[in-house]
Amino acid sequence: MHRKRMTAITAAGVLALSVALTACGSNNGENENAPAANADKNKAQNTTGNSGSANTPAAVADGPLVKYDPPIEVSTVRKFNSGLKFLPGESWDNNIYTNELKSDLGIQMKNDWIVDDQQYPKKLNVSMVAGDLPDIFEVNLQQLQLLIEADQIADLTDVFDKYATDLSKKAIENGDGIARKAASVNGRLMAIPNGGGGRDDAQFIYVRADWLKKLNLQPPKTMDDVINIAKAFANDDPDGNGKKDTFGLSLDYNLFNGWSGLDGFFNGYHAYPFNPGGPNSTGLNLVFMDKGGQLDYADIQPEVKTALGKLQDLFKAGAINPEFGVDSGEKSAALATAGKVGMTYGAFWVPTWPINEMIAKDPKVDWEIYPLVSADDQPVKALSNNIVPASFTVVSKKSKHPEAAVKILNFYMEKNYGESRDEKYHSQKNGDETIGVFGLSPVSGGFSETNQDDYYSVQEALTAKDPSKLNPTAKAYYDSVTSYRAGDVKGWPMEKLFGGDNTSTYGILGQYKKNNAFMTNAFLGAPTETMVRNGPALRDLEVKTFTKIIMGEQPLDSFDQFVADWKKQGGDQIIQEVNDWYKEHK
Amino acid sequence: MLRRWWANDLPLHIMVWVGLVFVLIFAYGPMVGLVIAFQKFVPTKGLFGSDWVGLDNFHYILSLPDTRQVIYNTVFISIMKLAAGLVAPLLTALLLNEIRLKAFKRTVQTIVYLPHFLSWVILSGILLDVLSPNFGLLNDFIAWLGFDRVFFLGNDHWFPFVLVGTDVWKEFGFGTIVYLAALTGINPALYEAAVIDGAGRWKQTINVTLPGIVPIVVLLMTLSLGNILNAGFDQVFNLYSPSVYSSGDILDTYVYRLGLVNFDFGVATAVGLFKSAVSLVLISGSYMMAYRFANYRIF
Repeated sequence: MHRKRMTAITAAGVLALSVALTACGSNNGENENAPAANADKNKAQNTTGNSGSANTPAAVADGPLVKYDPPIEVSTVRKFNSGLKFLPGESWDNNIYTNELKSDLGIQMKNDWIVDDQQYPKKLNVSMVAGDLPDIFEVNLQQLQLLIEADQIADLTDVFDKYATDLSKKAIENGDGIARKAASVNGRLMAIPNGGGGRDDAQFIYVRADWLKKLNLQPPKTMDDVINIAKAFANDDPDGNGKKDTFGLSLDYNLFNGWSGLDGFFNGYHAYPFNPGGPNSTGLNLVFMDKGGQLDYADIQPEVKTALGKLQDLFKAGAINPEFGVDSGEKSAALATAGKVGMTYGAFWVPTWPINEMIAKDPKVDWEIYPLVSADDQPVKALSNNIVPASFTVVSKKSKHPEAAVKILNFYMEKNYGESRDEKYHSQKNGDETIGVFGLSPVSGGFSETNQDDYYSVQEALTAKDPSKLNPTAKAYYDSVTSYRAGDVKGWPMEKLFGGDNTSTYGILGQYKKNNAFMTNAFLGAPTETMVRNGPALRDLEVKTFTKIIMGEQPLDSFDQFVADWKKQGGDQIIQEVNDWYKEHK
Repeated sequence: MLRRWWANDLPLHIMVWVGLVFVLIFAYGPMVGLVIAFQKFVPTKGLFGSDWVGLDNFHYILSLPDTRQVIYNTVFISIMKLAAGLVAPLLTALLLNEIRLKAFKRTVQTIVYLPHFLSWVILSGILLDVLSPNFGLLNDFIAWLGFDRVFFLGNDHWFPFVLVGTDVWKEFGFGTIVYLAALTGINPALYEAAVIDGAGRWKQTINVTLPGIVPIVVLLMTLSLGNILNAGFDQVFNLYSPSVYSSGDILDTYVYRLGLVNFDFGVATAVGLFKSAVSLVLISGSYMMAYRFANYRIF
């Protein structure tokens, strides 16, 4: 039963997104974050100028894409999500990747087992216990740590340097090398990071513009505006039904999330807490800030208290659903799509889920997107942690050909991003249906700026009214945007992602990037020992306190008690460990 | 003699052996895994390669600030469930037993039995809506009566009672059927004798019906005592939220959040072992009491 609510919001977001973003329909359910799923699985446009394998000097006899002769066998394990579909006649053992890896590289893939993505981590743990590891497999950060400690995976530094193509090397250096750093121990590359380097989790303000208009309000420019709008939405009957049944700010028990989250609200007060609630949260994704060379926990800063006070006011004014403390993400989404909520903070994918459902039903509904606003004259910074990859591909120490993983990565990158790129390695048509095949590759890579670059090329094409230069993925976005502008409401989500300059999420995200308006977790290491031990209990303490403060069941000053308790119950130890890491990695 | 054994007893022995082997493999085999409770279990090192830490996992659980509250919640919720779950079906069965109209009796029996088949996943969705203070049916009714709306699922005080109430509502039909079955087993001659002695309906119930089903009541109670530390993971997990952790969190949900989400198997196993040990003591104790006071015995 614990499968049920697991990453409910993000999963739903991913799902909606993958449907909306045409080609990317499968294989991203395993990602914790929708943006990561999207960012690393689309095609990059900015890869022209890469020479692929041709110029690599080492490529003479035993190069990045040279075929094994005689062929070798490489074992792996796979996971699938519920959206997985194959082309007719194809399977895990017989598809474009397995077939061409064999014919082009002489690599015969062997799937030891295949399970769904919810069971994958547990099944893999069992394999670890049994010492029965395949040659190549995917792990999460905790498993990576375990495997490194147990000395069971191969050091890839040398084989990567020797065999990786320029394209593969570029992909692994994503986000100023943070992806590579996350996969390394003492400078040795222990895994191939899957994704990372992106900024796609930064938040925006989503507001019902039709309600603004009805109440004669202006879009938010400061946090005071946000608060006034929220109160007006709750008290001035924006839906005109004569009942006081609307709320100003969407919120649910997760507190922090890509939908109905508070991340952006806190950012407006220069506070950067992040510790999602909900029965399935791990309590391991803590954010630390650099305060004069010392790391400190973001959630216990005084700015957090200020913002909590404002939320308490909003709650007292009836601007927040009094039931938010028991509502899951689906519940808060249902309330919003029922037309009861006028504003929310959220990530870029919110137009693809859940608010797109409203647009199709009621043309009068108008959700607009605004950049985060500040409470004072200091510019606002958006919290963004996506630069750290969530999953990795590792190679068993027992594997006879550790370089095979690098070669498969080369193959994937070349076919999807290189000079010989071909759409058939990304997705293929089966009748009306587009089936993503990119996920079938045993190793994959990508670039974090893919969506952003697609945005820029769509913009260019829109100005020039000429889509001929677009890559196939961007072309699909372009078509949706133009069809929306011609009156087809189905194109609305893409319009809100890639359409306008100040009215689309990627337009605004581009501005954030230009101004470097991000706050990033200063701690990029794996969860420390005390974090793993005490993190979940401390998360409970935090979520309980924050929820009760917002609901007014506890006074605002109980925040101080929370800070003291947090420190006492292992927090001081965590801060100590995090600082030790920081000194080592500065 | 031997031939008779060969013909009659051997097939029975063979049948028992099959069951015994299954029990050994699937019930006793996994008990080897209990050693995890005394280890800092690392999947890569395996069951026998992980470091021994003695009682560290138990100390860790007891050192957590909320543990005492969670144990209290667990016992409180399950004792209430035990009591309510014993009384409600018994009363229903006794009342239904008085009804002569067979069709009505059967209909009621079926209707109260139905919720038993719904999972908590589904029920939690329904209950969230029904109990909602703003939009819920029940609260609309409470408000119509002139009382304040109650935030059943978000209020520390109410939450445990909601758990008990909904659990009884879901399961009492099942118990009712068991009791009704037991009631049909009472010898009608006893009632006839009672009537001849001048007993009315009430006296018949007190002196014939109740003593007649005492063994089955004792049996069900003995069995449920073994589950006293299982306050119902499914139900709580699907209904609770951070705002009611302080009164609604039970051992299972607590350990799920603390241990299993983060792969801390040692802690989770330690709690499982602790629960099993307590349950063993309770069920042995209650069995002995049942033997002494109700002369109830299995063997």
